[in-house]
This record gives sequence, C-alpha cells and structure tokens, in this order.
Amino acid sequence: MTTRTPFDIPAHASSDDPRVTLDEQLGTFEPIPPYPPRTEREAEFYTLRDGEMFVNMGPQHPSTHGVLRVVLKIDGEKVVDLDPVLGYLHRGVEKLCENADYHQAICYTDPLEYISSLFCEWSPVIAFEKLLDVQVPRRAEYIRVLSGELNRIASHALFMGWFALDLGGLTPILWSFIERDEIVEMLAALTGQRMLFNYFRIGGVNGDLNHEFMSRLGTWMSKATNQINSNQALLNDNEIFVRRARGLGVMDTATALSMCMTGPNLRATGVPFDVRRAHPYSIYPELDFDIPSRTEGDCLARYLLRMDEVKQSLRIIDQCLHEMPDGPIMAKLPRLIRPRPGRAYAAIEGPRGQYATYAISDGTDQPFRMRIHDPSFVHLQTVGLLTPGNLIADTMAIMASLDPIMGGVDK
Amino acid sequence: MALKPEPVPGSNLPAVISQPRDLVEPIVVANTLWQSSNPIAYNGGQASDITHLREFEASGEGRRDNARWAGPLEIIPTKADIVLDLIRANSLWPLLSGLACCAIEMMSAATSKNDMDRWGMFPFRASPRQADVLIVAGTCTTKMAGPLVRLWEQMPEPKWCVAMGDCTCSGGRYKRSYSTIQGIDRIMPVDVYVPGCPPRPEGLIYGMMKLQQLIKDRRGHWPERAIGPTVPEDL
Repeated sequence: MTTRTPFDIPAHASSDDPRVTLDEQLGTFEPIPPYPPRTEREAEFYTLRDGEMFVNMGPQHPSTHGVLRVVLKIDGEKVVDLDPVLGYLHRGVEKLCENADYHQAICYTDPLEYISSLFCEWSPVIAFEKLLDVQVPRRAEYIRVLSGELNRIASHALFMGWFALDLGGLTPILWSFIERDEIVEMLAALTGQRMLFNYFRIGGVNGDLNHEFMSRLGTWMSKATNQINSNQALLNDNEIFVRRARGLGVMDTATALSMCMTGPNLRATGVPFDVRRAHPYSIYPELDFDIPSRTEGDCLARYLLRMDEVKQSLRIIDQCLHEMPDGPIMAKLPRLIRPRPGRAYAAIEGPRGQYATYAISDGTDQPFRMRIHDPSFVHLQTVGLLTPGNLIADTMAIMASLDPIMGGVDK
Repeated sequence: MALKPEPVPGSNLPAVISQPRDLVEPIVVANTLWQSSNPIAYNGGQASDITHLREFEASGEGRRDNARWAGPLEIIPTKADIVLDLIRANSLWPLLSGLACCAIEMMSAATSKNDMDRWGMFPFRASPRQADVLIVAGTCTTKMAGPLVRLWEQMPEPKWCVAMGDCTCSGGRYKRSYSTIQGIDRIMPVDVYVPGCPPRPEGLIYGMMKLQQLIKDRRGHWPERAIGPTVPEDL
C-alpha cells in the first residue's frame, strides 16, 4: 500500500484571502486545501490509498443546487468518502443584522432560503415580537399562514422538479415551474415581489389582501388539486424513477435524531415531529391538518412525504380562506422600536424543517446579536453519512432528496 | 501594456515578460498519451510556451484576434462581419451557472412560461468551453470570485457577460457586507446590467435582447478585448 500526502503548499496561503483566491485558484483548482491538515479527520481524508482518487465537484455544477463544492474520494465509480467545502455564498447576514435596525434586519434575512423567503421573514419577525411583547392581529396571522402555505407549495414544487432533474428527467421541472410561476405571480400581486417578498412586518403584514390576489388564488385553487395530482403522476407512477429512488440513501430514526434532522427528512424516518404541532405558533393550533410521516427513510420516502405535505397545505389554505376574520392587519407600534434588554427564540416549520432565530436585545434599536438556525445546514451534514458506498451519480440524487439551499447553509 | 515583447530563440512566439509580482508556478503537462500523424501539429506534442494567461497578455499575442474573419476574407467588405454578427446574436448559448437567488429566476426565464428559446438564447451549457454568455446570477462572494473569473477565462472568444441582479450590478442589499464583491464589474467586464432584486424573467429576457442589439451594433466589449486575463491587478 502506498500513501502520499500532498501538503506542500505554503502555510501562509489562506483560502479566505480574496487575493490568494484569485491568484492561486486561477492557475490550479486542486481538491487539496492550501493549508496543512487542521484535524485528524482532514489528514485522514486527504491521504489516498491504492486505487483511490479525488474528484472535485463544484462550485459551478448544475446538480449541487447552488455553489456547494464537494471533494469526492472515489474508488472506481464508488464514493469512498466526501468532504463538502462550504462558504461560497457566505454573505455575512448575521453580522449585517447587528448593524441594521429591527425592520431592516428582516430584509437581510430574506434571501437566505430564497425559494421560501416568507419563512425566513417569519422566524425573525416572531422573535422580535416576543422581544417587544406585541399581540399580532388575528387577520394578520391568517394572512401570514395563507401566504406561507402558498410559499411552501411553491418550494415543494421546485423540489419535485430538481429531484427529477438530478435523476435525469427533464420534463417534471418544466411542469413544476408552471406551478411555481402561478403561485409566485399571485404572491407578487399580494406582496409586490416574486421571490424576496419582504412582506411580514413586526406586528403584522405589509398590505391587506387585494382583488387581484384573491381572483388569482380562486382560479388556481379550483384546479390546484387536479393539477398537482397530474404533476405528481409524472413521477409517482414512473417505474424507472421509483426503482431508482427506492432504497437509496436510507436514514434510520436514531441517526436522524442524533444528527438533529427536522422537517420532511425526519418525518420520512418515522418521527412525526412538526413544529406546527409540537411547539405551536400563530394560528396553527386552531387549524385541522395532518402530519404525514413515513417509515422507509429513503429518497423515495422523502419525495413522497413532501408531495403529501402539499395536499395538507392545500387543506390549510382552504380553511384560512373560509375562516378569515375582518380587522386590522398591523398592531399599533411606534416607528422606532427599542425593545427591553432580553433574548427571544422563535422556531417555525419551514419547507425544509425547523427554521429558528435567536435574537438578543440590549435596549437599542438594533439587535445585539442574531443567530439564525437553518435546517439546510443540518441536513447537508448527513450527506457524509448517506453517500459513502454509493455511486457518484447517487450523490446528486441523495443531495437533492435532502433539499438543501446553499443560501441558508452559508448564510 | 507598456512592456515590450522580445523574441525567444527556438520559439515563434514573443518572449514572456516577467512581471514584478510573484507568479504562481505554471503547470506544464507534456503530452505522453498520444501522437499526431502530422509531426508538427499540436506543437509536436510538446507543451505550449504559454503557461500563464497573464504572461500571455503581456506578450501582446492575444491582441491580434478580434474575432473577425481573417486571411483572404479580409478583402471582403464588412458585410461579412454583419452576417457573422447576425449568426452570433441569434444563437446565444449561456453558461449554466447560478450563484444565488437570481438563478431561480434565470431558470424560470428558460422554462415553459417565459420561453427564452423563442429568441435563440436557450441551450444552457454546463461547460464553459461551449458557452457564449456568462449570466452572473446572484451574489458573488470573495470566495466565489476566483472560480467565477476562472469560468470566464475558460470561455472561448467571442464572449459576453450579463450581470443579473442588484448584487452583481453594484452590491445591492449586501453592499455593506464584508464578504461580497460590490459589483461584478470589479472582476470582469460586463456588457449588460439587469437591475432588480431579483429581476423578473421578463427583465432578463429584455437584457438579453439588449445584448443581441449590442452584438449587432458591435458595441460589445469584445472587439477590442484580448484573449487573456481581465482581472484588475490591484484587486
């Protein structure tokens, strides 16, 4: 057995220095990091045995859902080990929030999980409302739940398209983008933006329901169930897809719990944990909906579970529309918000799992510290457990079934 | 470039100008795998003298290729160029490279509802070797800047760059961040700016149609741009 450790790159080089990044990575884009191994795990990973080689996947790669870079250690076609390299989309959101007042901070957290922006606003808004001890009007809560569940359907529609695309099917993404475009157009009528809505405010929402939104929503709801069923029939009844996804990347319950997985990925392993039921917020205790769960824990279960969630979201939207009360949409608040010193934690159930914000106030008009917990980051860690032993092509399928969004991972 | 190239004995290329700054050690890989039937083809199987793009730019060799027809066709009046530009403008192949949020709207512009293919800009290529246009969609961080410039330099001439979104135009909402590039034009030339956070798919299509007009009018960056690095020295 021969081993080699190619760590002969100068120690002063740091991948965080932009000049070094531009100079050295232009010439060479080695999978080996430009510094000596910092941990035993790194030293072990970057040491090759006989027959093994490194393959650098990313950061520009159509299948990694953004700018994730993964160093694969492969033996033939089989993945032996992998090392994700993060930080290609690190925008310093938490630091920016500390230098913005409470209203502006919501704008910075918006593009974190950019295909479900309303949930990225919802969590800090609830945390700030806890700090301020504000009672949100009931109509505002209904509007939040209504628009949030619409956004959840749009996010899951995109998941369906991407998952099929990573498994090699091109048609479902065209169908899912039709669905997603209809939803974001109606949300644009409500909020004024297609993706980064910036709609939730501390103490309510920005604008009331308007005629265009309601007419678009009514048209869509009348055909939504049929359309979603026919979209899902593309994949659910496709034998090639089902046999490819079944039994791939199986996660057992104990590992999922110890890795802190939440959301659909945890529910696919048999734990019906949902923040909307476990730690209720907003008006979810009053609504009637089921928490779907599955026991297989493989890629197919994760996919089917999200498709079940879409149907539950439709039920919630239906109830919201029938029980929508009249009243104000904003609580009475001063322009300049100065909460008392204290700390608040707010967790919500996003399309990917538990999305949480921990905010500390020191009595000024700016948050002293904001910590954002993103489920994508947690789920991306489990790729290292699920992938080894599978083929290279399965890496993309497993990663897509976990549905990470790199904006949330890197913050 | 103020530096003057000198000929090197045994080479038909001008000399490499050593920069006052430290260069990365060039990778020279000799071809040992196959041999051409023509002994002088592919430089005889030897590694090229050009080992670094900055040295290549200093040599001035790249300035000769302005992507126009050369040789006997030079005597044909500029009508030929117009035809060539029409061909280029109506088959723009963008690079499939999304950085952040704007990438979703870029995909949306390519799918059924806003069908970019109608104007001849659809086939997103996953390889920079096959792409004409780099649509920089999303926030470019300092860590991503190196790989992005590398992608840009791997694209063959003629090539164009479209900055999509506020983050790539000027920094946008992350202007004050410590880890983002405030405007993609600090690291590469930009032909069309599409503002918006993110712009609607119709906005991107409008920007691409503006780019087509630029190509037809010959107002893009590329006629006077050389092959080689376009990175400012003091970044």
